[in-house]
Amino acid sequence: MSAQKDCEFLVKRARELVSDDPCAAKAWLITARTLYPADFNIQYEMYTIERNAEKTSSAGRLLYDMFINFPEQPIVWREISVITAALRSDSQDKHTQFLRGLFETLPARVQCEMLLKATEQCFNTLEKAEMLLLLLKRFPESVVQHGVNLGETLLEAEVSENVETPVNCFRKLFVCDVLPLVINNMDMRLPASLMQKYMLKAAEFYIGYVTRGPSPDAPIQGAQDGSLKSPSMSRGSQRYVIDGLSEKSSVVSEPWEKLLDILSVVGTRCEWQGDKGQRSYVDMLHRVKELCRYLPGLEGETLSRCCSQVVICAALVLLRSAFLYVSAVQPALFQGVNGMSSGPWILVEDLSSVYNDIEVERGALKHAHKKRKLADGREKTMSSDDEEGLGKGRGRHIVVNKTEMPGWSETLESFRTARESWDLLHSHEGQYRKALSSLHQMAAVQQPQPGQQSPSGQASLEHHRALIQQASCHYALGEYRMACDKLLDVVSGLVPPNYEQTKSSEDSGRLKVKSRKGNDLRLLPCTSKAILPFCLQLMLACFKLRAFAESHDDLSLGHVIVLLQYDWPQGESLFLKAVDKICQQGSFQYENFFNYVTNIDMLEEFAYLRTPEGGRIQLELLPNQGMLIKHHTVTRGITKGVKEDFRLAMERQVSRCGENLLNVLHRFCINEKIIIIQSLP
Amino acid sequence: MGDIRQSLLPRDVLSAAKELLYHLDIYICNMVQSGRQAPQVDTKTLDLVEEFILHVPKDRNAQVRRMSALQELHLLEIMCSCFQEQSRDTVRQLVFSALFSLQGNQADESRMALLGKLVSMAVAVGRIPILECAATWLQRTHRVYCIRLAQVLVDDYCSLVPGSVPTLQNIHSASPRFCCQFITAVTTLYDLSTEELTPPLELLKMIVSWIQEDPRLVLITFLNTPLSNSQPVSSLDVTPLGGLVRWCVKAPLAYRKDKKPVMVNGTGENEQEAGPLFSALHLSVLQVFMLLPNILTEKGLFGRLALLQIESVAALISDLSRLLDQADKHTHTISDESHAASQLALDRLAQALQVAMANRALLCSRGKGSRILNLLQLILSGPVMYYNNIHTPPLSFSPHAAHSPIASHPTLPGHAPHTPMAPHPSPHPQYPAQPFMTGLPFPYRPGH
Repeated sequence: MSAQKDCEFLVKRARELVSDDPCAAKAWLITARTLYPADFNIQYEMYTIERNAEKTSSAGRLLYDMFINFPEQPIVWREISVITAALRSDSQDKHTQFLRGLFETLPARVQCEMLLKATEQCFNTLEKAEMLLLLLKRFPESVVQHGVNLGETLLEAEVSENVETPVNCFRKLFVCDVLPLVINNMDMRLPASLMQKYMLKAAEFYIGYVTRGPSPDAPIQGAQDGSLKSPSMSRGSQRYVIDGLSEKSSVVSEPWEKLLDILSVVGTRCEWQGDKGQRSYVDMLHRVKELCRYLPGLEGETLSRCCSQVVICAALVLLRSAFLYVSAVQPALFQGVNGMSSGPWILVEDLSSVYNDIEVERGALKHAHKKRKLADGREKTMSSDDEEGLGKGRGRHIVVNKTEMPGWSETLESFRTARESWDLLHSHEGQYRKALSSLHQMAAVQQPQPGQQSPSGQASLEHHRALIQQASCHYALGEYRMACDKLLDVVSGLVPPNYEQTKSSEDSGRLKVKSRKGNDLRLLPCTSKAILPFCLQLMLACFKLRAFAESHDDLSLGHVIVLLQYDWPQGESLFLKAVDKICQQGSFQYENFFNYVTNIDMLEEFAYLRTPEGGRIQLELLPNQGMLIKHHTVTRGITKGVKEDFRLAMERQVSRCGENLLNVLHRFCINEKIIIIQSLP
Repeated sequence: MGDIRQSLLPRDVLSAAKELLYHLDIYICNMVQSGRQAPQVDTKTLDLVEEFILHVPKDRNAQVRRMSALQELHLLEIMCSCFQEQSRDTVRQLVFSALFSLQGNQADESRMALLGKLVSMAVAVGRIPILECAATWLQRTHRVYCIRLAQVLVDDYCSLVPGSVPTLQNIHSASPRFCCQFITAVTTLYDLSTEELTPPLELLKMIVSWIQEDPRLVLITFLNTPLSNSQPVSSLDVTPLGGLVRWCVKAPLAYRKDKKPVMVNGTGENEQEAGPLFSALHLSVLQVFMLLPNILTEKGLFGRLALLQIESVAALISDLSRLLDQADKHTHTISDESHAASQLALDRLAQALQVAMANRALLCSRGKGSRILNLLQLILSGPVMYYNNIHTPPLSFSPHAAHSPIASHPTLPGHAPHTPMAPHPSPHPQYPAQPFMTGLPFPYRPGH
């Protein structure tokens, strides 16, 4: 075909000229086009020249012409797919921007058609969805036709692609891009059930995103440079990429706010009670609490609608507050939480009143111990004193050292809100059982797997945290043996710090002023400096009631005396009470006395007890002394020998007064672990 | 209005002119207000203008009143503000026409002189109403005078005062109509026939930048002219397209014509700079042609109005053949460069004609069209063939022949017996596409 050859020649001629004289090249092509208007190659060459010169408007015109005149040409489609890829890409390079600009020059109708056709030609679900999304974003009227279908396709893809977590590329696209378009389009009628389903999908995604654990393959900075003090610094800046998405589009900004936005639109569309714009999570909780009061008077459709509102809102408030609280207390658990300012914290029973007289607190403790459940030891269950807290809406006071925990007020507020919403969900147990089980599932998905939880440097600290948390819970439930068991595990792993008596007594004195009825909780920093004293106090608390009980339990009393040495003279009154009890009993047997009591005041007191003025109390404080006495009670010489031994032991003990008390007590915990545990119920 | 003459006579030249302008304005305002059909300024008034503004002596005995340069400048200022202040377009046009419509008498020379100064001043200070009136004047006046006005502006802005080109450049935004007419006038003026009639580089640059920025500029007059309004005979073309095509086609040969070996005044540089400019201009012209079908269809003129006159095309073709002829004669050995220039001229001609025909800017009737086509085919068949055949009547080619590829035509350069380049091993290396050149089919349909 000579015409074909001429076409080819003209195109070739233009190509030769284009570098030296682009105008001449274009002139040839214009001429050629008038000669062979139906020839694709001529038009494509014209387009290529303009595109390579990045002339947006003229390239746009030519692309438009090609799209209209040669809709079947594969080259046109290749070009369109390059352009649509640029639209989807978040790259800022010059050529990508040119391609995006090129697309913008096309008439809206052509853009729409182009995107639809490009979508049809796409076989990859994600790409197809992204392409369709471009269409929906540009042409809101197309949402009615394609919106829900696209959403369902993405949700189906999740299933068919066997993704492991709700934080996946399909869900991200669905929740962040498609869903807002769909629910904000008032031309669409959406059944309430569908919207609630979508709402929960969104919640699952956002919460999953927020609570994602540190990724296992991330470099462990702490191990590298040994800066254990800031292990979370590296995690905070750690990059996070959702599989299938670019790094940039993996970022979800303000997830809780976005979730709230969706919730308020869904709420409005589902005719939920309350004002239309949900201002904040706290407002939402208040509204739902009010709504709860009217629930008993409702029935049928209205009741179930209100129930949905209560459950969904309260659950979201709970999850958000719980997250905020946990991320403050246990920052290593989540990726992207900046826990640099303070390390992990443990919510424990406040024991600053442990040195108080037993009579005062006996009643209160008994009360609190009733009906406690022990959950997994980390969450909130142990602190929700269900019966009292319910209805009153007031939780127990939490003591916190404000200088050590900068964001303390927010953290406590989150804790309180979480608890309130938890109460709300529990108060209607029967109706909400089903909802709760799905919440538990949700929580389970978010729990990081044990192995990947934290880098090794952090591991022992985290382990301690868990053990102490459990110990505190066991204690609160009255399970003293279990509590001590956990505590002693922790103590055995600690290196005792230097004992600074004055400072620590000052510390607890301050705390004592602040604390209330002895029924308070306390946020304890998870550092070995803070842990060991707490362990000692908790052990003291475990033995205290028992030691001063009516029954004769010298072993417990002895342990109490040993433990009272810490923070001396805080425990002075309790010690005197113990001495009173010994006097009443007339005897006291505690063979470890000289191993662990180095307090000069105590030694003096005991030395005095033996004297006639002290009441000649029968003290068996040396190992095997009791056996000796039993065998030789009549033999004065032996008694005399015992006396001598005691005197010698006392003298030796006085010389030990300067020993690091924490070392002594640490040794006590380790060596006497079995006895300690066995002496508890 | 004639009765005011007595009151004007005793005044000094400037105040008399001023007074007359004032009365003229009122007189025409009244005329327009009275709603008379086709208002006409009477001869008495025109006489007054000639006497008191153009200062043409009324009779032999009369004393010749002259204005000093300063007075003239003052008058021009007054005129500028007079047109600026008059808000009604019709009145402005009538006043302008009373002042500057050529009357075919001795006053016309003064009229042209004053007009040149006024328009030049209007360009300088951006008086849009005057430029608009001048645009209309350029549409109604014989092309010879139009050319003279254009010449004044080119002299004033491109030659006389260096660096004042940007001022002239502004007319594009100030008055596109005037700009369009100016381009038409300038392309008519500079026909590249001599060194003097080659457009100054500055002017060329300016025109190229105007058209590149907005190709529709060259169609402004055409778009704004009502259909029925037949153009006065010998007025300028309604578009500069013909002139621009001539520029682009002739440029490669004209710029090298008469090139003396010793050139110190920078003409060589000009040539180098002009090359790309003409290339861009040529492309713009083709792009304008591409715009035409829609515009012509809208106006109901598609296939009925030829914006490119066949006569001017014919003239261009014969011009071109002469130039090619000369080029051959002047160069004893055909250099690559001269071949490239010839080729470029031919390429541009072919492209322009093809695109113009395809877009119906050039209408070929059976007789004339086929003749042109034959001429063209002759030219396109190769540099040797035109030399052989250009002076013989091209009618020997039947229109039918035009449709068949001319590959069989004995046009191979080496076959031309009289050329001194027979021993040259590869005389036309820049014609790698000989088959294409001969096979280029012009989709001419005699039936149209």
